[in-house]
Amino acid sequence: MSSANPRIDDTAVAALQNALAAEHAAIWCYALAIAFLSGADATRAREDENAHRELRSQVEETLTQLGAPAVSAQPAYATPRPVTDPASAAQLAVVAETDALAAWRSLLERTQDRALRQAALDTMSAGTLRCARWRAAVDQTPTIPVFPGQP
Amino acid sequence: MAGAAWSRRRVLAGLLLLPPAVAGCSLGRATGPSGPDPLIALADAARADAALAAAAVAADHGLAAALQPLVDARTRHAAALEAEITRLDPDRPTPAPAPPPTSRPGRTEVQRAVLASGRAAGEAAFGLPPERVGLVASVAACCSAYAEVLK
Repeated sequence: MSSANPRIDDTAVAALQNALAAEHAAIWCYALAIAFLSGADATRAREDENAHRELRSQVEETLTQLGAPAVSAQPAYATPRPVTDPASAAQLAVVAETDALAAWRSLLERTQDRALRQAALDTMSAGTLRCARWRAAVDQTPTIPVFPGQP
Repeated sequence: MAGAAWSRRRVLAGLLLLPPAVAGCSLGRATGPSGPDPLIALADAARADAALAAAAVAADHGLAAALQPLVDARTRHAAALEAEITRLDPDRPTPAPAPPPTSRPGRTEVQRAVLASGRAAGEAAFGLPPERVGLVASVAACCSAYAEVLK
């Protein structure tokens, strides 16, 4: 199927779907993580979850404008490690942010459209900060990833 | 943060509303085929930031925890950018190390420098081909995150 907008080709639409899938996964991860977090960490996890909900709706809206049916969320996702306590919950947030950064960087590589590249770049900057805060929570160094989104 | 989220929403939701003339700019190059590689300025900035942050740490060891990771990150950025420049220009001579800063830099000077570097990398990213844009976007996002946490 070809895109409704000549500037956004099928490759870019596929990359947007990939970013949407990462946002679905991130929202699921935060919902799980919040159950094991308390205090400031729980508050921050809710804020970060909201940021991903906002991104999800933006991507869905964009895909709708492009005439592409937005991919749905999976009913559940496999976590790399069992989430059983605050530390493993924070670690899952690191994974979610790292995966989302990779998806948004991949979008940049799969479109020349300036508006899409700008949106992906802004999202990477905000996501790098979220990722850094959770990396700090699990004592991962360096706190700020050196090449955010790099596979 | 609300302002950033709103502008991002406008960018994504409004991407179809851009006139084609603006969209066409995304395919343009900042420099002609004979112009200097745009990554050279970014590599120079990475070396300069690393030197500036190292000088700030040397002047005040109390800044080491905040700035040594930045020295390391910007050094790795310079190496990665340099590798990409050399890939297209194998005859490029090894660049001279950045001269040490003349004044005694502090946290504020380093924050301003890395903020400017992040913006420059973000601006350069728009005109780059797919195989280069990811690296430059990662550099931009990393610099933006440091600029934010050093505020």
